[in-house]
Amino acid sequence: MAGINRRTLMTGAASLLALPALAAEPDAFRIGGIVSFSGAYGIIGQSMRQGVEVAIQERGGTVLGKPIVVQWEDDETKPQVAVQKATRLLSSNVQMFFGAIISASTLAIMKLAEQRKIPVLVTASADDRITGTDKSRYAFRTSGNSYSENMSVVQHLKSSGAKSVYGVAADYNVMRDGWSLVKQQLGAAGIAVAGEDFPPVGTGDYAVIVDKVRQSGAQAVVVLLTGNDGITFVKQAGAVGLNDKVRIMGPNLMDELEAKAVGPASIGVQSAIRYHFTLDNPRNKRLVERYRKMFNDYPDPFVGEAYDGMSWWLDVIEATGSWDHDRWVDAFEHSTRADSVDGLKTMQACNHQAVSAGLWAEVVKGTAPLPELTMKILDTYPANVLYAACG
Amino acid sequence: MTTLLIGLSLGMLLVLLSAGLSLIFGMLGVVNFAHGGFYMLGAYLGFQVAQWTGNFWLALVISPLIVAAVGAAVEMLTLRPLYGPNPVFQVLLTFGIVLLIYEATRTLWGLGYQTIAPPAALADAVHLGSVEISAYRLFIIGFGALVAAAMFVVLERTPIGVLIRAASANSAMVSCLGVDIALLRTGVFAFGTGLAALGGVIAGPVSPIQLEMGFAILIDCFMVVVIGGLGNIRGAVIGALLIGLIRAYGARYLASWIDVLTYSIFVLVLLVRPQGLFATAERRA
Repeated sequence: MAGINRRTLMTGAASLLALPALAAEPDAFRIGGIVSFSGAYGIIGQSMRQGVEVAIQERGGTVLGKPIVVQWEDDETKPQVAVQKATRLLSSNVQMFFGAIISASTLAIMKLAEQRKIPVLVTASADDRITGTDKSRYAFRTSGNSYSENMSVVQHLKSSGAKSVYGVAADYNVMRDGWSLVKQQLGAAGIAVAGEDFPPVGTGDYAVIVDKVRQSGAQAVVVLLTGNDGITFVKQAGAVGLNDKVRIMGPNLMDELEAKAVGPASIGVQSAIRYHFTLDNPRNKRLVERYRKMFNDYPDPFVGEAYDGMSWWLDVIEATGSWDHDRWVDAFEHSTRADSVDGLKTMQACNHQAVSAGLWAEVVKGTAPLPELTMKILDTYPANVLYAACG
Repeated sequence: MTTLLIGLSLGMLLVLLSAGLSLIFGMLGVVNFAHGGFYMLGAYLGFQVAQWTGNFWLALVISPLIVAAVGAAVEMLTLRPLYGPNPVFQVLLTFGIVLLIYEATRTLWGLGYQTIAPPAALADAVHLGSVEISAYRLFIIGFGALVAAAMFVVLERTPIGVLIRAASANSAMVSCLGVDIALLRTGVFAFGTGLAALGGVIAGPVSPIQLEMGFAILIDCFMVVVIGGLGNIRGAVIGALLIGLIRAYGARYLASWIDVLTYSIFVLVLLVRPQGLFATAERRA
């Protein structure tokens, strides 16, 4: 090797050996946030973004000694757009994905992320497939799933003394499956099903279905409708005073935002909720205080879950001291969050679904400084009755 | 009986929306994709007026007037230069306008839901034997019928109505007779958008006011216009009531099939009588 002396060769070899270490440590920790910022779920995307901002601000904006940079993208509530945005974010060398809101987008992102071994943190989508049939080594859900939320409804009905129940479920998989689960559990508990309806998503008027519920003689109606549909149902039920005769409830049917959209007719409506700002624990108090300073409002469930999931995830990454994604995954799937905003949360290694106690709440009139219509927690159900056994 | 009344209330709400669209379509020849945007804007403005004044009735008057003024400005500044042989430009323009309205609404009112409380006198349910229906829905039926009747009288029995119908058939001839066609078109467009806004305020106590509401109702509106016939108010009323009743009875007996039923009627009309069920042949010069 004429012209190359031993020193040069050794220097070159050392440089080559150092390259992997240098390549493993980027200049920033980049998060690809894919949520809806437009359309019916835009308000949820906004909440999730705020929750993440609080989590990042609380730790000084860094992890593994590097600044955290979040690149937010709007999936327009469409899975194909979510995939396009995720592909673009991959070219920006994101370390992880956060999102999405609708389960179809989340599942699409998970498939793409798995090919590139990029972790996905899910704090909103409820479809059981995310940590069930379509689970991925690189995807984790720190919020409740559809099964647990529907089991909250079942737990409440069993203890409420209701003898017959009507079901109204939006005509798509997750809601129909949810109602099937509830129906099966009610049957086992000796509670009769007085009727059921499956209106298409986006049904503008529920007055006829409300009348069917009224005429059925049911003591309770389980409403598996979300967002705009749920608000419309409760509003129109209130217009004929249905809630005076029939207990209205659902998994994720109401929170402060939806109660405000319905108005006083929402008082008495009950719902499983994932998080509430009144939970009495130190981490939640810190979240509420910081959130109110930043945004002059109380955190809603999507803020709470986004904050909780992201802060847990970042703490676990920090503890690994590594930029190796597989080490993050191994650490997170065996982790427990003793002081989450929802109390004890445990990540199940078999399916990457976090389990925790579930909350059951009712809309009540609030007194200042609380919102005019607020949720009051009535009951807490332990994780072992809400989540299916792992494996 | 309850189902019939609910169907009529759904239909009457559609009448308010689709009558204006039919008029604009019939007289101006404009496929107004922004119609849902004006409906949404009317609802948001109605919410704001109701919130400031605590008065639903004021919202019902002020919101349509403001949106009608906006509609007039839109017609004069954007549509007027594009009247001509190629309607594609108008379609694209109205699509752009709806996006503009959407973004402006989002900027002013944010992403959250809003609501308008019904007036206290209409807030309760009415019990008529086995029928239980909200008083506000009965108001929608009565108010919608009143507006439809008023429109019919104006179009069929007044000089301005004669001018509008004549201009729909042959605007060039009407112009030759000394009528300011440009002003007439602006007036019709403003009236149509004002009607859409009126529909938005009326819908406020029944459904949540949110950014997607205009897109959701637009399909039903176009179906009514196609079923009833372009520029045909009588057809629009009957088409709207038909859609409303299908949706109500569909929800009663076949909830999963409501959309299939509704769109099947639409496709059937297009195949059998594409000019609309109630379109009448008119002599054109």
